[in-house]
Amino acid sequence: MLTVFKHTLRRYRGQIIGWGIVMFLYGAINMPFYDSFANQTALFDQLLNLFPKEAFAFFGNFDITAYATPAGYLGIQYFDVMAVLILGVFVLLLGSGLLVGDEESGRLDLILAHPVSRTSLFWGRLLGFAAVTLAILFISWLGLVLPMGLTSMNLGWGEVALPFLSLFGVLMVFGAAALLFSMLLPSRSTAAMTGGFVLVASYIITSLDRMLQMQGNTSLETAVKFTPLYYYEGGNAISGLNVGWLVGLLAVSALLAVLAWWRFKRRDIRVGGEGGWRFNLLRFKRVRAQQ
Amino acid sequence: MDNAMALTTQGLTKSYGSVRALRGVNLEVRRGEVFGFLGPNGAGKTTTIRCLLDLIRPDGGTLRVLGLDPQANPVEVRARSGYLPGELRVEDNSTVEDVLHYFNDLRSGKADWSFVRHIAQRLDLDLAPRVKNLSKGNKQKVGVVLALMHRPELLLLDEPTIGLDPLMQHEVLRLIVEARDEGTTVFFSSHNLSEVQEIAERVAIIRQGVVVEVAETDSLINRAMRRVSIRFERPVTDTALATLPGVKVLRRDDGLSVLLQVEGKMDGLIKALAAFPVVDFETERPSLEEIFLTYYEGDRTEVK
Repeated sequence: MLTVFKHTLRRYRGQIIGWGIVMFLYGAINMPFYDSFANQTALFDQLLNLFPKEAFAFFGNFDITAYATPAGYLGIQYFDVMAVLILGVFVLLLGSGLLVGDEESGRLDLILAHPVSRTSLFWGRLLGFAAVTLAILFISWLGLVLPMGLTSMNLGWGEVALPFLSLFGVLMVFGAAALLFSMLLPSRSTAAMTGGFVLVASYIITSLDRMLQMQGNTSLETAVKFTPLYYYEGGNAISGLNVGWLVGLLAVSALLAVLAWWRFKRRDIRVGGEGGWRFNLLRFKRVRAQQ
Repeated sequence: MDNAMALTTQGLTKSYGSVRALRGVNLEVRRGEVFGFLGPNGAGKTTTIRCLLDLIRPDGGTLRVLGLDPQANPVEVRARSGYLPGELRVEDNSTVEDVLHYFNDLRSGKADWSFVRHIAQRLDLDLAPRVKNLSKGNKQKVGVVLALMHRPELLLLDEPTIGLDPLMQHEVLRLIVEARDEGTTVFFSSHNLSEVQEIAERVAIIRQGVVVEVAETDSLINRAMRRVSIRFERPVTDTALATLPGVKVLRRDDGLSVLLQVEGKMDGLIKALAAFPVVDFETERPSLEEIFLTYYEGDRTEVK
Protein backbone atom coordinates (compact mmCIF):
# COMPACT_ATOMS: atom_id res chain seq x y z
CA MET A 1 0.00 0.00 0.00
CA LEU A 2 2.93 2.32 0.76
CA THR A 3 4.22 1.98 -2.81
CA VAL A 4 0.79 2.87 -4.19
CA PHE A 5 0.50 5.81 -1.78
CA LYS A 6 3.92 7.21 -2.69
CA HIS A 7 3.24 6.75 -6.38
CA THR A 8 -0.12 8.53 -6.05
CA LEU A 9 1.59 11.50 -4.40
CA ARG A 10 4.28 11.58 -7.07
CA ARG A 11 1.72 11.28 -9.82
CA TYR A 12 -0.42 14.16 -8.55
CA ARG A 13 2.41 16.53 -7.64
CA GLY A 14 1.49 18.66 -10.65
CA GLN A 15 -2.08 18.93 -9.35
CA ILE A 16 -0.78 19.98 -5.92
CA ILE A 17 1.32 22.71 -7.47
CA GLY A 18 -1.33 23.86 -9.96
CA TRP A 19 -4.37 23.94 -7.68
CA GLY A 20 -2.18 25.08 -4.77
CA ILE A 21 -0.96 28.11 -6.71
CA VAL A 22 -4.52 29.01 -7.74
CA MET A 23 -5.75 28.88 -4.15
CA PHE A 24 -2.64 30.60 -2.77
CA LEU A 25 -3.05 33.51 -5.18
CA TYR A 26 -6.78 33.74 -4.58
CA GLY A 27 -6.19 34.03 -0.83
CA ALA A 28 -3.17 36.31 -1.07
CA ILE A 29 -4.96 38.73 -3.40
CA ASN A 30 -7.95 39.01 -1.08
CA MET A 31 -6.05 39.60 2.17
CA PRO A 32 -4.76 43.15 1.53
CA PHE A 33 -8.32 44.37 0.86
CA TYR A 34 -9.47 43.51 4.37
CA ASP A 35 -8.56 46.90 5.85
CA SER A 36 -10.31 48.78 3.06
CA PHE A 37 -13.55 46.87 3.62
CA ALA A 38 -13.27 47.01 7.41
CA ASN A 39 -12.78 50.80 7.39
CA GLN A 40 -15.73 51.46 5.11
CA THR A 41 -18.44 49.35 6.69
CA ALA A 42 -20.85 52.29 6.93
CA LEU A 43 -20.64 52.95 3.20
CA PHE A 44 -21.16 49.28 2.39
CA ASP A 45 -24.04 49.15 4.79
CA GLN A 46 -25.80 51.91 2.86
CA LEU A 47 -25.06 50.30 -0.46
CA LEU A 48 -26.09 46.81 0.51
CA ASN A 49 -29.25 47.92 2.27
CA LEU A 50 -30.57 48.65 -1.19
CA PHE A 51 -30.70 44.88 -1.79
CA PRO A 52 -33.07 42.41 -0.12
CA LYS A 53 -31.57 40.65 2.87
CA GLU A 54 -32.71 37.29 1.48
CA ALA A 55 -30.27 37.69 -1.41
CA PHE A 56 -27.35 37.90 1.00
CA ALA A 57 -28.68 34.99 2.98
CA PHE A 58 -28.70 32.96 -0.21
CA PHE A 59 -25.07 33.78 -0.93
CA GLY A 60 -23.66 33.22 2.55
CA ASN A 61 -25.87 34.36 5.42
CA PHE A 62 -23.88 37.45 6.27
CA ASP A 63 -24.67 40.83 7.50
CA ILE A 64 -22.47 43.67 6.39
CA THR A 65 -21.03 44.24 9.85
CA ALA A 66 -19.38 40.83 9.54
CA TYR A 67 -17.14 42.35 6.87
CA ALA A 68 -15.43 44.35 9.58
CA THR A 69 -14.35 41.21 11.46
CA PRO A 70 -11.50 38.97 10.24
CA ALA A 71 -13.65 35.85 10.56
CA GLY A 72 -16.56 37.43 8.70
CA TYR A 73 -14.34 38.83 5.99
CA LEU A 74 -12.54 35.54 5.39
CA GLY A 75 -15.85 33.67 5.43
CA ILE A 76 -17.51 35.94 2.88
CA GLN A 77 -14.50 36.45 0.63
CA TYR A 78 -12.92 33.05 0.81
CA PHE A 79 -14.41 30.10 2.67
CA ASP A 80 -18.19 30.24 2.35
CA VAL A 81 -18.50 30.05 -1.43
CA MET A 82 -15.35 30.21 -3.52
CA ALA A 83 -13.01 27.84 -1.66
CA VAL A 84 -15.58 25.10 -1.32
CA LEU A 85 -16.74 25.37 -4.93
CA ILE A 86 -13.25 25.60 -6.49
CA LEU A 87 -11.83 22.78 -4.42
CA GLY A 88 -15.12 20.89 -4.72
CA VAL A 89 -14.59 20.70 -8.47
CA PHE A 90 -11.03 19.55 -7.85
CA VAL A 91 -12.01 16.66 -5.56
CA LEU A 92 -14.81 15.60 -7.89
CA LEU A 93 -12.39 15.34 -10.79
CA LEU A 94 -9.72 13.62 -8.72
CA GLY A 95 -12.08 11.28 -6.91
CA SER A 96 -13.93 10.16 -10.02
CA GLY A 97 -10.66 9.43 -11.83
CA LEU A 98 -8.74 7.96 -8.92
CA LEU A 99 -9.15 4.39 -10.21
CA VAL A 100 -11.45 4.66 -13.20
CA GLY A 101 -9.07 7.09 -14.91
CA ASP A 102 -6.53 4.30 -15.13
CA GLU A 103 -9.21 1.79 -16.00
CA GLU A 104 -10.50 3.82 -18.94
CA SER A 105 -6.99 4.35 -20.28
CA GLY A 106 -6.24 0.60 -19.98
CA ARG A 107 -3.51 1.03 -17.35
CA LEU A 108 -5.34 -0.64 -14.48
CA ASP A 109 -5.08 -4.02 -16.20
CA LEU A 110 -1.30 -4.00 -16.03
CA ILE A 111 -1.19 -2.58 -12.49
CA LEU A 112 -3.50 -5.29 -11.18
CA ALA A 113 -1.55 -7.96 -13.03
CA HIS A 114 1.18 -7.23 -10.48
CA PRO A 115 1.15 -8.48 -6.89
CA VAL A 116 -0.93 -5.70 -5.46
CA SER A 117 -4.36 -6.51 -4.08
CA ARG A 118 -7.37 -4.47 -5.05
CA THR A 119 -7.68 -3.49 -1.38
CA SER A 120 -4.11 -2.17 -1.21
CA LEU A 121 -4.52 -0.31 -4.47
CA PHE A 122 -7.80 1.22 -3.39
CA TRP A 123 -6.74 2.41 0.05
CA GLY A 124 -3.27 3.42 -1.11
CA ARG A 125 -4.83 5.63 -3.77
CA LEU A 126 -7.43 7.01 -1.35
CA LEU A 127 -4.80 7.90 1.23
CA GLY A 128 -2.83 9.56 -1.54
CA PHE A 129 -5.97 11.49 -2.51
CA ALA A 130 -6.40 12.69 1.08
CA ALA A 131 -2.74 13.68 1.28
CA VAL A 132 -2.92 15.58 -2.02
CA THR A 133 -6.02 17.45 -0.80
CA LEU A 134 -4.31 18.28 2.49
CA ALA A 135 -1.23 19.53 0.63
CA ILE A 136 -3.38 21.87 -1.48
CA LEU A 137 -5.18 23.09 1.63
CA PHE A 138 -1.82 23.71 3.29
CA ILE A 139 -0.67 25.86 0.37
CA SER A 140 -4.04 27.63 0.43
CA TRP A 141 -3.59 28.29 4.16
CA LEU A 142 -0.16 29.80 3.46
CA GLY A 143 -1.88 32.11 0.98
CA LEU A 144 -3.91 33.54 3.85
CA VAL A 145 -1.45 33.57 6.74
CA LEU A 146 1.65 34.84 4.94
CA PRO A 147 0.09 38.14 3.79
CA MET A 148 -1.78 38.53 7.10
CA GLY A 149 1.05 40.66 8.48
CA LEU A 150 0.21 43.30 5.85
CA THR A 151 -3.27 43.75 7.34
CA SER A 152 -4.71 44.68 10.72
CA MET A 153 -6.09 41.15 11.19
CA ASN A 154 -4.93 39.79 14.48
CA LEU A 155 -5.76 36.14 13.99
CA GLY A 156 -3.47 33.33 15.00
CA TRP A 157 -2.22 31.01 12.27
CA GLY A 158 -3.92 28.15 14.07
CA GLU A 159 -7.27 29.97 14.02
CA VAL A 160 -7.03 30.41 10.26
CA ALA A 161 -6.35 26.68 9.97
CA LEU A 162 -9.69 25.74 11.58
CA PRO A 163 -11.93 26.49 8.55
CA PHE A 164 -9.51 24.48 6.43
CA LEU A 165 -10.17 21.48 8.67
CA SER A 166 -13.90 21.90 8.15
CA LEU A 167 -13.25 22.34 4.41
CA PHE A 168 -11.15 19.16 4.40
CA GLY A 169 -14.04 17.24 5.95
CA VAL A 170 -16.57 18.31 3.33
CA LEU A 171 -14.09 17.82 0.47
CA MET A 172 -13.50 14.25 1.64
CA VAL A 173 -17.24 13.62 1.45
CA PHE A 174 -17.48 14.90 -2.12
CA GLY A 175 -14.29 13.10 -3.16
CA ALA A 176 -15.44 9.79 -1.68
CA ALA A 177 -18.87 10.25 -3.26
CA ALA A 178 -17.26 10.81 -6.67
CA LEU A 179 -15.16 7.69 -6.15
CA LEU A 180 -18.24 5.67 -5.26
CA PHE A 181 -20.10 7.02 -8.30
CA SER A 182 -17.15 6.02 -10.48
CA MET A 183 -17.49 2.45 -9.18
CA LEU A 184 -21.22 2.36 -9.92
CA LEU A 185 -21.60 4.40 -13.10
CA PRO A 186 -20.31 3.49 -16.56
CA SER A 187 -17.69 6.20 -16.97
CA ARG A 188 -15.52 8.69 -15.16
CA SER A 189 -17.26 11.65 -16.78
CA THR A 190 -20.69 10.42 -15.66
CA ALA A 191 -19.37 9.99 -12.13
CA ALA A 192 -17.88 13.49 -12.09
CA MET A 193 -21.10 14.95 -13.46
CA THR A 194 -23.19 13.17 -10.84
CA GLY A 195 -20.84 14.37 -8.11
CA GLY A 196 -21.10 17.90 -9.52
CA PHE A 197 -24.88 17.65 -9.39
CA VAL A 198 -24.71 16.64 -5.72
CA LEU A 199 -22.35 19.53 -4.94
CA VAL A 200 -24.49 22.13 -6.68
CA ALA A 201 -27.73 20.70 -5.28
CA SER A 202 -26.25 20.73 -1.80
CA TYR A 203 -25.18 24.34 -2.25
CA ILE A 204 -28.58 25.44 -3.54
CA ILE A 205 -30.51 23.63 -0.80
CA THR A 206 -28.37 25.07 2.02
CA SER A 207 -28.59 28.56 0.47
CA LEU A 208 -32.35 28.34 -0.05
CA ASP A 209 -32.80 27.10 3.49
CA ARG A 210 -30.94 30.12 4.89
CA MET A 211 -33.07 32.43 2.77
CA LEU A 212 -36.32 30.76 3.79
CA GLN A 213 -35.32 30.69 7.45
CA MET A 214 -35.08 34.50 7.33
CA GLN A 215 -38.74 34.56 6.38
CA GLY A 216 -39.60 32.06 9.09
CA ASN A 217 -40.14 29.28 6.58
CA THR A 218 -38.72 25.98 7.83
CA SER A 219 -39.82 23.75 4.97
CA LEU A 220 -36.22 22.79 4.05
CA GLU A 221 -35.09 22.38 7.63
CA THR A 222 -35.08 18.57 7.48
CA ALA A 223 -33.81 18.20 3.91
CA VAL A 224 -30.85 20.50 4.47
CA LYS A 225 -29.52 18.24 7.20
CA PHE A 226 -28.91 15.57 4.59
CA THR A 227 -26.61 17.78 2.55
CA PRO A 228 -22.87 17.76 3.29
CA LEU A 229 -22.58 21.54 3.05
CA TYR A 230 -24.91 21.98 6.04
CA TYR A 231 -22.06 20.66 8.19
CA TYR A 232 -19.43 22.83 6.57
CA GLU A 233 -18.77 25.80 8.81
CA GLY A 234 -16.78 27.98 6.45
CA GLY A 235 -15.45 31.17 8.05
CA ASN A 236 -17.47 30.56 11.23
CA ALA A 237 -14.98 27.86 12.18
CA ILE A 238 -12.42 30.58 12.97
CA SER A 239 -14.31 31.36 16.13
CA GLY A 240 -14.59 27.67 17.06
CA LEU A 241 -14.56 24.45 15.10
CA ASN A 242 -17.49 22.10 15.57
CA VAL A 243 -15.45 18.94 16.06
CA GLY A 244 -18.56 16.77 16.08
CA TRP A 245 -19.53 17.96 12.61
CA LEU A 246 -15.99 17.44 11.33
CA VAL A 247 -15.89 13.92 12.71
CA GLY A 248 -19.33 13.31 11.20
CA LEU A 249 -18.16 14.47 7.76
CA LEU A 250 -15.09 12.27 7.97
CA ALA A 251 -17.22 9.32 9.09
CA VAL A 252 -19.58 9.78 6.13
CA SER A 253 -16.65 9.99 3.74
CA ALA A 254 -15.22 6.81 5.28
CA LEU A 255 -18.58 5.07 4.82
CA LEU A 256 -18.76 6.14 1.17
CA ALA A 257 -15.18 4.98 0.68
CA VAL A 258 -15.94 1.58 2.22
CA LEU A 259 -18.89 1.16 -0.17
CA ALA A 260 -16.68 2.11 -3.12
CA TRP A 261 -14.00 -0.35 -1.95
CA TRP A 262 -16.60 -3.10 -1.56
CA ARG A 263 -17.74 -2.52 -5.12
CA PHE A 264 -14.20 -2.28 -6.50
CA LYS A 265 -13.28 -5.63 -4.93
CA ARG A 266 -16.11 -7.37 -6.69
CA ARG A 267 -16.33 -5.85 -10.12
CA ASP A 268 -14.57 -6.69 -13.38
CA ILE A 269 -11.75 -4.46 -14.51
CA ARG A 270 -12.96 -3.06 -17.78
CA VAL A 271 -11.00 -2.66 -20.97
CA GLY A 272 -12.46 -1.50 -24.23
CA GLY A 273 -15.66 -0.28 -22.61
CA GLU A 274 -17.29 -3.58 -21.75
CA GLY A 275 -19.60 -3.43 -18.76
CA GLY A 276 -20.82 0.04 -19.63
CA TRP A 277 -24.45 0.97 -19.63
CA ARG A 278 -26.30 0.94 -22.92
CA PHE A 279 -29.00 3.42 -23.57
CA ASN A 280 -30.91 1.28 -26.01
CA LEU A 281 -33.64 3.80 -26.61
CA LEU A 282 -31.11 6.41 -27.76
CA ARG A 283 -29.34 3.83 -29.92
CA PHE A 284 -32.63 2.86 -31.48
CA LYS A 285 -33.45 6.46 -32.31
CA ARG A 286 -30.04 7.00 -33.88
CA VAL A 287 -30.37 3.91 -36.05
CA ARG A 288 -33.82 4.99 -37.13
CA ALA A 289 -32.54 8.44 -37.98
CA GLN A 290 -29.88 6.98 -40.27
CA GLN A 291 -32.40 4.94 -42.21
CA MET B 1 -5.06 -30.14 -8.63
CA ASP B 2 -2.36 -32.02 -10.42
CA ASN B 3 0.99 -30.51 -9.50
CA ALA B 4 2.21 -31.22 -13.00
CA MET B 5 -0.21 -28.60 -14.29
CA ALA B 6 0.68 -24.92 -14.29
CA LEU B 7 -2.86 -23.94 -15.09
CA THR B 8 -6.19 -25.61 -15.60
CA THR B 9 -9.62 -24.34 -16.51
CA GLN B 10 -12.79 -26.39 -16.52
CA GLY B 11 -16.02 -25.22 -18.01
CA LEU B 12 -14.97 -21.58 -17.83
CA THR B 13 -17.79 -19.27 -18.87
CA LYS B 14 -17.97 -15.51 -19.12
CA SER B 15 -20.51 -13.18 -20.66
CA TYR B 16 -20.52 -9.44 -21.23
CA GLY B 17 -24.17 -8.62 -21.24
CA SER B 18 -25.67 -10.64 -24.06
CA VAL B 19 -22.25 -11.50 -25.54
CA ARG B 20 -21.02 -14.94 -24.47
CA ALA B 21 -17.25 -14.50 -24.57
CA LEU B 22 -16.36 -17.88 -23.04
CA ARG B 23 -18.69 -20.85 -23.32
CA GLY B 24 -16.99 -23.55 -21.32
CA VAL B 25 -13.25 -23.31 -21.84
CA ASN B 26 -11.32 -26.41 -20.82
CA LEU B 27 -7.54 -26.15 -20.76
CA GLU B 28 -4.62 -27.88 -19.11
CA VAL B 29 -1.15 -26.42 -19.40
CA ARG B 30 1.73 -28.47 -18.05
CA ARG B 31 4.49 -26.97 -15.97
CA GLY B 32 7.52 -26.01 -18.01
CA GLU B 33 5.91 -26.11 -21.44
CA VAL B 34 5.31 -23.42 -24.02
CA PHE B 35 1.62 -23.46 -24.84
CA GLY B 36 0.20 -21.54 -27.77
CA PHE B 37 -3.34 -20.24 -27.64
CA LEU B 38 -4.73 -19.59 -31.08
CA GLY B 39 -7.87 -17.91 -32.22
CA PRO B 40 -9.13 -14.96 -34.22
CA ASN B 41 -10.10 -11.64 -32.68
CA GLY B 42 -13.01 -11.98 -30.29
CA ALA B 43 -12.60 -15.74 -29.86
CA GLY B 44 -11.97 -15.39 -26.12
CA LYS B 45 -8.17 -15.50 -25.82
CA THR B 46 -7.74 -12.26 -23.88
CA THR B 47 -10.82 -12.92 -21.76
CA THR B 48 -9.33 -16.27 -20.72
CA ILE B 49 -6.01 -14.67 -19.78
CA ARG B 50 -7.76 -11.90 -17.81
CA CYS B 51 -9.74 -14.53 -15.88
CA LEU B 52 -6.48 -16.28 -14.99
CA LEU B 53 -5.19 -13.06 -13.41
CA ASP B 54 -8.47 -12.27 -11.62
CA LEU B 55 -8.87 -9.06 -13.60
CA ILE B 56 -12.34 -10.29 -14.47
CA ARG B 57 -14.46 -12.89 -12.70
CA PRO B 58 -15.83 -15.83 -14.68
CA ASP B 59 -19.54 -16.53 -14.48
CA GLY B 60 -18.95 -20.24 -14.10
CA GLY B 61 -16.36 -23.00 -14.14
CA THR B 62 -13.20 -23.48 -12.18
CA LEU B 63 -9.64 -22.39 -12.72
CA ARG B 64 -6.33 -22.98 -11.01
CA VAL B 65 -3.12 -21.15 -11.68
CA LEU B 66 0.05 -22.67 -10.24
CA GLY B 67 -2.22 -24.72 -8.02
CA LEU B 68 -4.01 -21.64 -6.69
CA ASP B 69 -7.46 -20.20 -7.13
CA PRO B 70 -6.81 -16.72 -8.61
CA GLN B 71 -9.88 -15.28 -6.91
CA ALA B 72 -8.82 -16.51 -3.50
CA ASN B 73 -5.08 -15.83 -3.92
CA PRO B 74 -4.77 -13.11 -6.56
CA VAL B 75 -1.65 -11.53 -5.12
CA GLU B 76 0.30 -14.78 -4.94
CA VAL B 77 -0.76 -15.77 -8.45
CA ARG B 78 0.38 -12.42 -9.82
CA ALA B 79 3.59 -12.47 -7.79
CA ARG B 80 4.55 -15.74 -9.46
CA SER B 81 3.35 -14.71 -12.94
CA GLY B 82 4.50 -12.29 -15.58
CA TYR B 83 1.90 -10.69 -17.83
CA LEU B 84 2.18 -8.96 -21.16
CA PRO B 85 -1.11 -7.34 -22.22
CA GLY B 86 -2.20 -7.13 -25.82
CA GLU B 87 -1.53 -3.42 -25.83
CA LEU B 88 0.77 -1.93 -23.24
CA ARG B 89 -0.65 1.16 -21.53
CA VAL B 90 1.49 2.92 -18.97
CA GLU B 91 1.90 6.53 -17.90
CA ASP B 92 3.08 8.35 -20.96
CA ASN B 93 4.98 11.07 -19.15
CA SER B 94 7.19 8.63 -17.27
CA THR B 95 10.53 7.46 -18.60
CA VAL B 96 10.94 3.78 -19.40
CA GLU B 97 13.22 3.40 -16.38
CA ASP B 98 10.63 5.04 -14.09
CA VAL B 99 7.96 2.66 -15.39
CA LEU B 100 10.18 -0.36 -14.78
CA HIS B 101 11.06 0.90 -11.28
CA TYR B 102 7.40 1.52 -10.43
CA PHE B 103 6.29 -1.94 -11.43
CA ASN B 104 9.32 -3.46 -9.76
CA ASP B 105 8.32 -1.61 -6.58
CA LEU B 106 4.87 -3.21 -6.88
CA ARG B 107 6.76 -6.52 -6.90
CA SER B 108 8.59 -5.45 -3.74
CA GLY B 109 11.77 -4.99 -5.74
CA LYS B 110 11.98 -8.66 -6.76
CA ALA B 111 13.62 -7.97 -10.11
CA ASP B 112 17.33 -8.35 -10.55
CA TRP B 113 18.23 -5.00 -12.09
CA SER B 114 21.25 -6.35 -13.93
CA PHE B 115 18.89 -8.87 -15.58
CA VAL B 116 16.54 -6.02 -16.51
CA ARG B 117 19.40 -4.16 -18.18
CA HIS B 118 20.47 -7.38 -19.88
CA ILE B 119 17.02 -7.93 -21.42
CA ALA B 120 16.74 -4.27 -22.39
CA GLN B 121 20.12 -4.46 -24.07
CA ARG B 122 19.15 -7.58 -26.01
CA LEU B 123 15.98 -5.87 -27.16
CA ASP B 124 17.88 -2.71 -27.98
CA LEU B 125 15.63 -0.77 -25.63
CA ASP B 126 16.80 2.60 -24.33
CA LEU B 127 15.55 3.20 -20.78
CA ALA B 128 15.93 6.98 -20.84
CA PRO B 129 13.13 8.23 -23.17
CA ARG B 130 9.64 9.05 -22.02
CA VAL B 131 7.04 6.45 -22.90
CA LYS B 132 5.06 8.96 -25.00
CA ASN B 133 8.04 9.25 -27.33
CA LEU B 134 8.31 5.51 -27.96
CA SER B 135 7.19 3.70 -31.08
CA LYS B 136 4.66 0.88 -30.79
CA GLY B 137 7.44 -1.65 -31.13
CA ASN B 138 9.50 -0.09 -28.36
CA LYS B 139 6.46 0.04 -26.08
CA GLN B 140 6.06 -3.67 -26.74
CA LYS B 141 9.65 -4.20 -25.67
CA VAL B 142 8.90 -2.42 -22.37
CA GLY B 143 6.04 -4.86 -21.87
CA VAL B 144 8.31 -7.82 -22.56
CA VAL B 145 10.84 -6.56 -19.99
CA LEU B 146 8.05 -6.05 -17.43
CA ALA B 147 6.80 -9.59 -17.95
CA LEU B 148 10.21 -11.22 -17.71
CA MET B 149 12.15 -9.09 -15.25
CA HIS B 150 11.31 -11.01 -12.06
CA ARG B 151 11.91 -14.45 -13.64
CA PRO B 152 8.31 -15.64 -13.10
CA GLU B 153 7.16 -19.24 -12.85
CA LEU B 154 4.42 -18.55 -15.35
CA LEU B 155 4.35 -16.19 -18.30
CA LEU B 156 0.98 -15.07 -19.66
CA LEU B 157 1.64 -13.30 -22.92
CA ASP B 158 -1.02 -11.76 -25.11
CA GLU B 159 0.49 -11.39 -28.59
CA PRO B 160 4.10 -11.04 -27.41
CA THR B 161 5.67 -10.06 -30.72
CA ILE B 162 3.02 -7.74 -32.08
CA GLY B 163 4.48 -4.51 -33.46
CA LEU B 164 8.08 -5.79 -33.43
CA ASP B 165 10.34 -6.03 -36.43
CA PRO B 166 11.36 -9.59 -37.50
CA LEU B 167 14.74 -9.32 -35.81
CA MET B 168 13.19 -8.35 -32.50
CA GLN B 169 10.42 -10.92 -32.91
CA HIS B 170 13.11 -13.54 -33.11
CA GLU B 171 14.87 -12.11 -30.04
CA VAL B 172 11.65 -12.14 -28.01
CA LEU B 173 11.03 -15.76 -29.00
CA ARG B 174 14.55 -16.60 -27.89
CA LEU B 175 13.90 -14.94 -24.54
CA ILE B 176 10.71 -16.97 -24.16
CA VAL B 177 12.51 -20.21 -24.98
CA GLU B 178 15.29 -19.32 -22.54
CA ALA B 179 12.70 -18.66 -19.85
CA ARG B 180 11.15 -22.05 -20.61
CA ASP B 181 14.59 -23.67 -20.36
CA GLU B 182 14.88 -22.20 -16.86
CA GLY B 183 11.59 -23.84 -15.90
CA THR B 184 9.06 -21.12 -16.69
CA THR B 185 5.70 -22.16 -18.11
CA VAL B 186 4.66 -20.01 -21.04
CA PHE B 187 1.06 -19.53 -22.07
CA PHE B 188 0.77 -17.21 -24.98
CA SER B 189 -1.79 -16.14 -27.49
CA SER B 190 -0.82 -15.19 -30.97
CA HIS B 191 -1.97 -14.53 -34.47
CA ASN B 192 1.48 -15.24 -35.78
CA LEU B 193 1.20 -18.94 -36.39
CA SER B 194 4.75 -19.41 -37.58
CA GLU B 195 6.04 -18.28 -34.22
CA VAL B 196 3.63 -20.60 -32.44
CA GLN B 197 4.88 -23.40 -34.62
CA GLU B 198 8.45 -22.38 -33.81
CA ILE B 199 8.28 -22.40 -30.03
CA ALA B 200 5.04 -23.96 -28.77
CA GLU B 201 5.07 -27.58 -27.73
CA ARG B 202 1.28 -27.70 -27.61
CA VAL B 203 -1.45 -25.51 -28.95
CA ALA B 204 -5.10 -24.92 -28.25
CA ILE B 205 -7.46 -23.47 -30.78
CA ILE B 206 -10.33 -21.42 -29.45
CA ARG B 207 -13.34 -20.52 -31.50
CA GLN B 208 -16.38 -18.57 -30.34
CA GLY B 209 -15.44 -19.04 -26.70
CA VAL B 210 -14.92 -22.81 -26.95
CA VAL B 211 -11.62 -24.68 -27.20
CA VAL B 212 -12.09 -26.80 -30.31
CA GLU B 213 -8.68 -28.46 -30.40
CA VAL B 214 -5.76 -29.10 -28.05
CA ALA B 215 -2.79 -30.97 -29.43
CA GLU B 216 0.97 -31.27 -29.63
CA THR B 217 2.01 -28.78 -32.27
CA ASP B 218 3.90 -31.43 -34.25
CA SER B 219 1.14 -34.02 -34.08
CA LEU B 220 -1.40 -31.45 -35.15
CA ILE B 221 0.67 -30.77 -38.20
CA ASN B 222 1.53 -34.45 -38.77
CA ARG B 223 -1.95 -35.79 -38.55
CA ALA B 224 -3.30 -33.20 -40.87
CA MET B 225 -3.67 -33.85 -44.56
CA ARG B 226 -0.56 -33.42 -46.59
CA ARG B 227 -0.08 -33.05 -50.28
CA VAL B 228 2.17 -35.51 -52.11
CA SER B 229 3.54 -34.85 -55.56
CA ILE B 230 4.93 -37.86 -57.44
CA ARG B 231 6.61 -38.07 -60.83
CA PHE B 232 6.93 -41.44 -62.55
CA GLU B 233 9.34 -42.67 -65.15
CA ARG B 234 6.51 -43.86 -67.43
CA PRO B 235 2.76 -43.25 -67.42
CA VAL B 236 0.91 -45.20 -64.74
CA THR B 237 -2.73 -45.62 -63.95
CA ASP B 238 -3.70 -44.02 -60.68
CA THR B 239 -6.27 -46.65 -59.78
CA ALA B 240 -3.94 -48.44 -57.42
CA LEU B 241 -3.19 -45.23 -55.56
CA ALA B 242 -6.68 -43.81 -55.51
CA THR B 243 -8.08 -46.87 -53.78
CA LEU B 244 -5.63 -46.59 -50.87
CA PRO B 245 -7.32 -45.57 -47.62
CA GLY B 246 -6.90 -41.85 -46.85
CA VAL B 247 -5.56 -41.07 -50.33
CA LYS B 248 -7.30 -38.84 -52.82
CA VAL B 249 -6.08 -37.87 -56.28
CA LEU B 250 -6.14 -34.12 -56.68
CA ARG B 251 -4.53 -33.81 -60.07
CA ARG B 252 -3.15 -36.13 -62.74
CA ASP B 253 -0.97 -34.85 -65.57
CA ASP B 254 -0.44 -37.14 -68.62
CA GLY B 255 0.04 -40.14 -66.36
CA LEU B 256 3.60 -39.12 -65.54
CA SER B 257 2.89 -36.97 -62.49
CA VAL B 258 0.18 -37.01 -59.91
CA LEU B 259 -0.80 -34.82 -56.97
CA LEU B 260 -2.34 -36.64 -54.05
CA GLN B 261 -3.89 -35.63 -50.78
CA VAL B 262 -2.97 -38.02 -47.99
CA GLU B 263 -4.67 -38.14 -44.63
CA GLY B 264 -3.00 -39.97 -41.77
CA LYS B 265 0.06 -42.22 -42.04
CA MET B 266 2.12 -42.38 -45.25
CA ASP B 267 3.04 -46.03 -44.81
CA GLY B 268 0.38 -47.48 -47.10
CA LEU B 269 1.16 -45.07 -49.91
CA ILE B 270 4.90 -45.67 -49.79
CA LYS B 271 4.41 -49.42 -49.90
CA ALA B 272 2.04 -49.08 -52.84
CA LEU B 273 4.52 -46.87 -54.69
CA ALA B 274 7.16 -49.63 -54.52
CA ALA B 275 5.41 -51.21 -57.47
CA PHE B 276 5.95 -48.12 -59.66
CA PRO B 277 9.05 -46.52 -61.22
CA VAL B 278 9.21 -43.33 -59.14
CA VAL B 279 11.50 -40.54 -60.37
CA ASP B 280 10.60 -37.87 -57.83
CA PHE B 281 8.59 -37.73 -54.65
CA GLU B 282 7.75 -34.58 -52.71
CA THR B 283 5.53 -34.08 -49.71
CA GLU B 284 4.22 -30.76 -48.63
CA ARG B 285 3.14 -30.34 -45.03
CA PRO B 286 0.46 -27.82 -44.33
CA SER B 287 1.58 -24.94 -42.18
CA LEU B 288 -0.07 -24.44 -38.83
CA GLU B 289 -1.79 -21.54 -40.46
CA GLU B 290 -3.52 -23.77 -42.98
CA ILE B 291 -4.56 -26.17 -40.23
CA PHE B 292 -5.79 -23.28 -38.15
CA LEU B 293 -7.87 -22.01 -41.02
CA THR B 294 -9.56 -25.37 -41.43
CA TYR B 295 -11.11 -24.80 -38.01
CA TYR B 296 -12.58 -21.59 -39.27
CA GLU B 297 -13.96 -22.78 -42.53
CA GLY B 298 -17.65 -22.17 -42.38
CA ASP B 299 -17.04 -19.87 -39.43
CA ARG B 300 -20.64 -18.75 -39.49
CA THR B 301 -21.64 -22.11 -38.13
CA GLU B 302 -22.00 -21.69 -34.42
CA VAL B 303 -19.92 -23.98 -32.24
CA LYS B 304 -22.09 -26.28 -30.16
